Amino acid sequence: MTTTPITGTPPSPAPATELVTVTVDGKTQQFPKGTVLLEACNQMGAGVPFFCYHPGLTSPAVCRQCLVDVKGQPKPVPSCYTPVADKMEVMTKSPRALDVRRQMLEFTLVNHPIDCPICDKAGECLLQKHYFDWDAKLARNDGIKVKKAKVVDIGPRIVLDQERCILCTRCIRVCDEVAKTHQLEMADRGDHEVLTTAPGHQLDNPYSLNTVDVCPVGALTSKDFRFAMRAWELYTTPSICPGCATGCNIEVHHSHGKIQRLIPRQNDQVNEHWMCDEGRLTYKRVHAQRLAAPMSGGVPVDWDRALDDAGRALRVALDAGPAQVGVVMNAQSTNEDLYALARLTFDHLGLGKVYLAGLDQGWSDDILVSADKNPNTAGAMAIGAGRLRTLLDLANDLKSGAVTTLLVVGTHGVIGKDGAPGALPLDRLTTLVVVGTHRDEVTAAAKVALPLAEWAESDGTFTNRLGMVQRVRAAVPPAGDSLPGWEILSHLARKLGATMEFTEAKTVFAEAKQKLPFMKDAEWGRPLLPVQLRFAGSRG
Amino acid sequence: MAVGVKVVNRPGSLAQQAYLPAIAEGLGVTFRHFVKNFFGNVTGNRKKTDIATMEYPEEKMKYPERNRGLHRLMLRDDGQVRCVACMMCPTVCPAHCITIVPEEAPDGRIEKRPMIFEIDELRCVVCGLCVEACPCDAIRMDTLDHAKPTYRRVDAILDKEELMSRGIQSTAVQGGVGAFWRERVGGQPQTPPAGAVVPAGAPHGPTPLRDHGHK
Amino acid sequence: MEYGSLAFQALAATIKIVFMILGFLMPLASILTWMERRESAMMQDRLGPNRANIGPFKLWGITHFMADAVKFLFKEDFVPPKAHKFLFMWAPIMAMAPALIVAAIIPFGPPLCWNELLEKNPVCGQPINLQIAQLDVGLLFYFAISSLAVYGATLAGWASHNKWAMMGGLRATSQMMSYEVTMGMAVLGSFLVYGTLEPGAIVAQQTHIFSLGHYHSSWGIFLQPAGFVLFLTAAIAETKRTPFDIPEGEPEIIGYFVEYSGLRFGMFFLGEFLEIVVSSAIMITLFFGGYHWGNTIDNALLSHLPNFVFVLAMFGLWTVKVFAFCGFQLMIRWSLPRFRSDQLMRLGWQRLLPISIANVVATALVVLWAQQ
Repeated sequence: MTTTPITGTPPSPAPATELVTVTVDGKTQQFPKGTVLLEACNQMGAGVPFFCYHPGLTSPAVCRQCLVDVKGQPKPVPSCYTPVADKMEVMTKSPRALDVRRQMLEFTLVNHPIDCPICDKAGECLLQKHYFDWDAKLARNDGIKVKKAKVVDIGPRIVLDQERCILCTRCIRVCDEVAKTHQLEMADRGDHEVLTTAPGHQLDNPYSLNTVDVCPVGALTSKDFRFAMRAWELYTTPSICPGCATGCNIEVHHSHGKIQRLIPRQNDQVNEHWMCDEGRLTYKRVHAQRLAAPMSGGVPVDWDRALDDAGRALRVALDAGPAQVGVVMNAQSTNEDLYALARLTFDHLGLGKVYLAGLDQGWSDDILVSADKNPNTAGAMAIGAGRLRTLLDLANDLKSGAVTTLLVVGTHGVIGKDGAPGALPLDRLTTLVVVGTHRDEVTAAAKVALPLAEWAESDGTFTNRLGMVQRVRAAVPPAGDSLPGWEILSHLARKLGATMEFTEAKTVFAEAKQKLPFMKDAEWGRPLLPVQLRFAGSRG
Repeated sequence: MAVGVKVVNRPGSLAQQAYLPAIAEGLGVTFRHFVKNFFGNVTGNRKKTDIATMEYPEEKMKYPERNRGLHRLMLRDDGQVRCVACMMCPTVCPAHCITIVPEEAPDGRIEKRPMIFEIDELRCVVCGLCVEACPCDAIRMDTLDHAKPTYRRVDAILDKEELMSRGIQSTAVQGGVGAFWRERVGGQPQTPPAGAVVPAGAPHGPTPLRDHGHK
Repeated sequence: MEYGSLAFQALAATIKIVFMILGFLMPLASILTWMERRESAMMQDRLGPNRANIGPFKLWGITHFMADAVKFLFKEDFVPPKAHKFLFMWAPIMAMAPALIVAAIIPFGPPLCWNELLEKNPVCGQPINLQIAQLDVGLLFYFAISSLAVYGATLAGWASHNKWAMMGGLRATSQMMSYEVTMGMAVLGSFLVYGTLEPGAIVAQQTHIFSLGHYHSSWGIFLQPAGFVLFLTAAIAETKRTPFDIPEGEPEIIGYFVEYSGLRFGMFFLGEFLEIVVSSAIMITLFFGGYHWGNTIDNALLSHLPNFVFVLAMFGLWTVKVFAFCGFQLMIRWSLPRFRSDQLMRLGWQRLLPISIANVVATALVVLWAQQ
């Protein structure tokens, strides 16, 4: 799993720990004391299979799939439950270990329905992977399988299939340890043991979709993603969740230019292995109500015409009086877009009335969710460097007539600031030029509206609440004719007589990195091609 | 002699160089065919001739039994579509001619079914991989028919209803081979029954099929 | 009308010409265009064109030639922009006309006895020769006229203003020249044997099929076997058909009539088949006894049938011979592969010409010996 380079507050160096020497399958390596044996084995390439172990959770050692032989032990030991010890000698592929693991796998498969053709997990299923890697034989058991409940609605976002469940308890531990709620339980015994909700509970915690991610089989499926796409048809692009200021690292899974789901990507300094259910749905806005073509006077025009019109309108306003021209930045924009806008506004045009917009504050918890629902408020504040005013100021300026011309870049939250649309008296403006992503009240009121690429459509960086500058990557092509913000602003600057020659997001980033102190340690990272999950192997 | 020219001495007796015996032989061959076909045709006894021509509108070629032709979707016992929208066929299709949009079936017993199942017969290369990939015996190409010519391209895209209209109930057991299949087929425990999925080249040792790069 | 008068002769000649062209040559050539396709199909285990019909009458598709004619009529008569218009239009006629003209010397039946039409064993005091023109220089006339056909090919190639057509025309010219000589030499043997160039007289002599006693009256094939092979080869080369179709080469190498379409192409096409008919008739005249079927049959028919019925029967038998020979030529065309250009020239000049000269010399010696 790749992680984007993280900058900002560097992780504090791990305290020097005692190293122990472990021999796995004849190879010897040193590990910090306390390392789980399974991790040690797999770091050395042993490929020990497992179901119930998860690096972000405690280990109950219930699946018995990770049994390995340790010299001196009378029985194979569960490697997920065993810390490494000095001079440990481990045989992961001894006949006994292989045999016992295969027996455990066969035992797991006894009552599994093998309905892979209709299972959403097929293709990224640990059971499939381990079967093909370690067994790949016909079933010896041909009796009737134990019937359990199939499409069980256990929560607003999750569907449970009890037959597919292999009783690894990962989901229970996610609820217990991540969401701090005990909403799932095991019931009954033996081959009739099933996963079920705790009495009087639903699986409705704000982190419930993490259970779908950790489920090694298709027992828990997301209602949002259910039957939408087979896993191997998806391409994955690493990115950052735009849902709040936390900046969870995510993978964008997309196919044919359409985002299908967001899943968390491991980053121990931000979100570890998890993300909230709300963040997973932020992709919806990328494909809904988008402004697809430049609009001038309410009719779609081509880019040249729209830029001409926008430049002329702004030019007239600037010539009439720069003091009455206002600019609205948005905390949803990337650092690159904000930097380009700041350069145009402050350096080239010398405007003073710059306001910061963004989505409203929302709920928060002390796990991951931040009250600030904008991914880049920290970046916007740093780039604004104390010169930014609030939308309340803008409303006052509009009412008093201090601002008659407005350039809005990013329309998220511009209207909804006071709850009711029209709280901003946009009709008092003589000229409104909007660079926006969606067809909303602001772009509808604009004299010229230019289509802006959404976060999943443009490259850039977000600065999260910890001040970490994290890389956002374009996953899908921009909707319609829309362009990244820095590119639109470069064109607009040329129309206004300013020279701001950016050719790609990386050049904006490089310049911003030199000029802005908070970005001085940020890194752009290597270019990545979207990887199809078909070739990425199993997840889980 | 120019550089690079290799003179080959043609073998040949005077008879060969004179052409005439060979010409006579060749004329003999064609004449034999002519006589056989001519008189067979004139007397209306086509079977005794070598003529291979098929007079198309009146006579039609009978496709062999294993001919791959127009697709059809097989049906369950209750007449519903057998397909479970597992996406194996669009995945394996080299021409990307199959479009499936799955949906959740109201019948809980089936769970998943295709809402849209379209095959673009113009793009189809008639390779038959979809039939091989299908785990449910849902798609077949054994209609002994070929894609009909159309005036508009869109008419060559067959939808689910049209594909099902040619379908029949499959003899395969729905839901795999089912319980106690060994007793039913009466075979050896090691012998897979007809229709059982045997992973090709499955290793019987600890060697992984391939490295998944799993972390 | 009195026998022997000028009017009588003129009327007889006109009737003979019209009958020969409209009643024999053109229908036969037309049918050959269909027959070639059917015959080749039969050789190649196919059916060939059998679909054209008039109402319910299919007649094995024999009316295909009519359909072809209609198609030719309705096709665009395309003339290339830079072509020489006059020659371009006249070349097909020049290719077709010689074959028709040559037909004038072919005897197609025994003399009709004008005043004894219903007699058996007539004395034939007033014969009407079934031959359009009884020329003493007969065979020379044939060479003179038939070699003019090459002008059609050459002019068509040149007038088309197309370099491939031009080269096709040149190939036609070189091929014609090569084989004309051999053809003349081959016939020279027959001339020595029969002592005349007049086709009617040559045919009249070949009353027996083969007779040692009357070797003079045997068919030419037995007196001049080498001459027959040489003449056949040269005649096929003259008709520009496979294996000597280098001037045309329709499938791959482009021939002299590449720019022709519609009826003009049809004239080339028909001209080719007319040449087949005429060369077959000439070969029968020289080597297969013309209208004769051997002494026995001839005499039997002559003595048992009224004269005009006898003449009709002999004409019918002659037609059968011509038809069979045409079929044989078609069979050669569909059995043999094409010669390469250099092979064609080598065969013509280095093989056929020496053999034909040797044939003439040998024939002359034998004839000399026999006369003494």
